Amino acid sequence: MKITRKHVKADVPSVAMGDIAFLLLIFFVILSRAEDDTHLRWTPANLPKVENLGNAAVSVVINDESKVFLNGAQIGMGQLAEQIEARLAGFPVGDRKVRLKVHDNATAQYFEPVIEAISQAGGELEHVLQLRSDE
Amino acid sequence: MKFRRRSNLLVEPPATATGDIAFNLIVFFLVCVAITPDTGRKQEVPSSEQEKEKSQPMEVLVTREAKHVILDGNIVAIDDFPRALTAALQSKAGSSAEVADLPEKQRIVVISTKDNKDAPYAKWIKVAAMIEDVGAILTLQIEEERTVDTD
Repeated sequence: MKITRKHVKADVPSVAMGDIAFLLLIFFVILSRAEDDTHLRWTPANLPKVENLGNAAVSVVINDESKVFLNGAQIGMGQLAEQIEARLAGFPVGDRKVRLKVHDNATAQYFEPVIEAISQAGGELEHVLQLRSDE
Repeated sequence: MKFRRRSNLLVEPPATATGDIAFNLIVFFLVCVAITPDTGRKQEVPSSEQEKEKSQPMEVLVTREAKHVILDGNIVAIDDFPRALTAALQSKAGSSAEVADLPEKQRIVVISTKDNKDAPYAKWIKVAAMIEDVGAILTLQIEEERTVDTD
């Protein structure tokens, strides 16, 4: 008796390609935002004159709870200068920008040591502020 | 003449294309996200110097009070501060020239909070911006922590 082999179709389902692409995209988007600080809550101080700031190598945020974040991750004051210096390593003068985002009601007790740490690390300080619309 | 109606029409969209549609939609929305650049102010932070300046620079004390600052020990209304600072720097230099034209050493202004650690950032940055806009050179004075041995 002759048994005929059954031919099984072994195609990759093309319907799933879209889902794969979608998941890959989400994966890379999440990866790229790992060092983002947009999830932090802070209110910028206002000034009548501000300028557009370019890209910065490092971002430091003091949020509305006066907690300090370096590139989106919370950090203790003791490690701040060292960590900023490590992240600025290899950047030439002119590109060692450190963007400082301080909640407008944060007190000197919190923002002065941060400015000092940026200075110690050799960072070029840029305060992120908002244009005051009434002036 | 009688035409026969076709009965085997493709009525559902091709499922293979949904992935491409989703992908293009995502790209479209990512591109549409407005990337607004940050605005603010650059500030030159001077390196900490151990040497004491021979001439005492002008000192601006920022307190919690919103309406005034203390300029070399005198209370000044914040709205009058740029004018008062300009006058003080010119008086100290003995010149009526613009502050920006004065010698570098004579336009150094120290900003500090001293014991007023509750001074808010919004006021501090406002005063710092006023000092720089006048043409003075801003220096920060931050209290040093010192360990004193009592033995």
